[in-house]
Amino acid sequence: MAGAFGFKSCQKIRGPQIRNLLAAKDFFLFDCDGVLWHGENAISGAAEVVNSLTRQGKNVVFVTNNCTRPRESYVHKFSRLGFTDVMLEQIFSSSYCSALYLRDFVQVSGQVFVMGCDGLRRELQEAGIPCVEEADDPSATIYDCPLAPDVKAVLVGHDDKLTFLKLAKASCYLKNPECLFLATDTDPWHPLSSGRILPGSGSLTAALEVASGRKATVIGKPSRFMFECISSQFSGVDPAQCLMVGDRLETDMLFGSNCGLDTMLTLTGVSQIEEAQEYRNSELTTNHSFVPNYVVDTIADFLPAFEELEEEGN
Amino acid sequence: MSGSKGSAWLSGALLKPLLDSVDCVLFDCDGVIWRGDQVIPGAADVINLLKKNGKRVFFLTNNSSKTRRMYAEKMATMGVSVAPEEVFGTAYCCAAYLSTVCQLQGSKVYLLGSAAMGQELEAVGVRHTGLGPDHITGSQSDWANVPLDPEVKAVVVGFDQHFSYMKLNRAMQYLTQQDCLFVGTNRDTRLPLEGGKIVPGTGCLLQAVETAAQRQAQTVGKPNHYMFDCVASQYGLDRARCLMVGDRLDTDILLGSNCGLKTLLTLTGVSTVADVEAHEQSGCPERRKMVPDYYVDSVADLLPALQG
Repeated sequence: MAGAFGFKSCQKIRGPQIRNLLAAKDFFLFDCDGVLWHGENAISGAAEVVNSLTRQGKNVVFVTNNCTRPRESYVHKFSRLGFTDVMLEQIFSSSYCSALYLRDFVQVSGQVFVMGCDGLRRELQEAGIPCVEEADDPSATIYDCPLAPDVKAVLVGHDDKLTFLKLAKASCYLKNPECLFLATDTDPWHPLSSGRILPGSGSLTAALEVASGRKATVIGKPSRFMFECISSQFSGVDPAQCLMVGDRLETDMLFGSNCGLDTMLTLTGVSQIEEAQEYRNSELTTNHSFVPNYVVDTIADFLPAFEELEEEGN
Repeated sequence: MSGSKGSAWLSGALLKPLLDSVDCVLFDCDGVIWRGDQVIPGAADVINLLKKNGKRVFFLTNNSSKTRRMYAEKMATMGVSVAPEEVFGTAYCCAAYLSTVCQLQGSKVYLLGSAAMGQELEAVGVRHTGLGPDHITGSQSDWANVPLDPEVKAVVVGFDQHFSYMKLNRAMQYLTQQDCLFVGTNRDTRLPLEGGKIVPGTGCLLQAVETAAQRQAQTVGKPNHYMFDCVASQYGLDRARCLMVGDRLDTDILLGSNCGLKTLLTLTGVSTVADVEAHEQSGCPERRKMVPDYYVDSVADLLPALQG
């Protein structure tokens, strides 16, 4: 298989090629939005694919930049949408991994100033990480706003309650070079199931980078950190055994490339095949990291390969 | 001309020849004439004496939170007599840009900005919507489907202390329409408030909108030459006989270079001598444009040449 060193063909594969791929890999990483579901609607066949992979003894994990829900909420969603027996331990969200980063990797002592939603705060609280009280003091203004003591990290995520005051406070905390600057992800916008979009964590992170003059450490895709969390939990994962399946070139495919994994683009989400081809044909070699090894119209294209594999097994 | 030689300390001997070589002096405000609400000692005298000596004096500021009238009133409290028509703030220049260059007189814009920006827009007949607080309500689906005013032809971003996720969202939704224009006042990363506090500047808000919308705004403020064009078109200036005085290399001095003006850095604000030297030694033509012709500790250093 064309690996991290080979020229990525970005070709659509089907039937026998998928069957060979499934046989060769034993660790599957799936993005969620646009790959398994659109909002509350499972993509046709997706649940069957995941259930089949599990039945065949493959390792399956879910890697999402969506920091708005705690993992328990994802467990319920998987169940609701027909994905059987998905466990908490298989779910790696940028909010969960942010908590791991703060608790285990940097072992933060002191408070964290969070610009994010409840889902993110809950993951931090579950990990025992103290967060600064969210609500702005009603009497606080940009001329005079109290700062919390002992803030050792600023974490930016999807914050629908963003105010200018929060941006100003975060910028003050970041004046201390020992205060960490973390971002759950850099996605500039998120698609909703209707096809409309909303501003993403990336836009807030960009604002704070300009305000502070500092670059954020990114937890989510395309940064490697979530793969390190996965590898740590599974006591070591061989990248050569992995396939990363996603719908967004600039997050999922780049993530796979950064971690040395083979990548597959499914066309049920954000990125179009033409964009992948443009990156492939680009003279800038850095653009080649966005190019997937393989492309499918939908992950339901795996299903015929399962049927064959199961027939062979019988 | 900036960049063609090193930057020189404006010593006594060089003062009078420089002032004699110019008919017009353009001043930045924050960090040059005042800091917050404190006037820089001697600044008022310098301005008044320049005018007495027959020089024309104008003020160019990227700060969009006041109208020209409000700036003139602020300067009056500091002992500087200035007419509103001599002040070119980005609120005024942005309104001018939208009405004359973008031809939006009579049209409507979605405005992330201050009440002052609203007033300057109204003064040139550009209508606006969006001013003030705008908090999130409802669900994600509601936000993605916010009703868009069909009359809005541009998204305009200035300093907005009521900036919120909802406003960012509305701006982004308008900008998904390809024929919607996108204009920002300036990219300064910091804004000095009265009282001395420094908060994130318009540049941060603009970056948020640009990232979400995946589009670049056209900015009106320094170092873009538009602000100088505004002054020049109203007052018929000879660039070779203009001096730009500022405290920031990447806005004031770069504007001066871009427009072919003489440039003077004052050290009462953002940029330092070390910054000048770094640009001077960089060997990069773009950075050389940020090297001022001269520098002084403070504008008060011009006084000896004016009082004699």
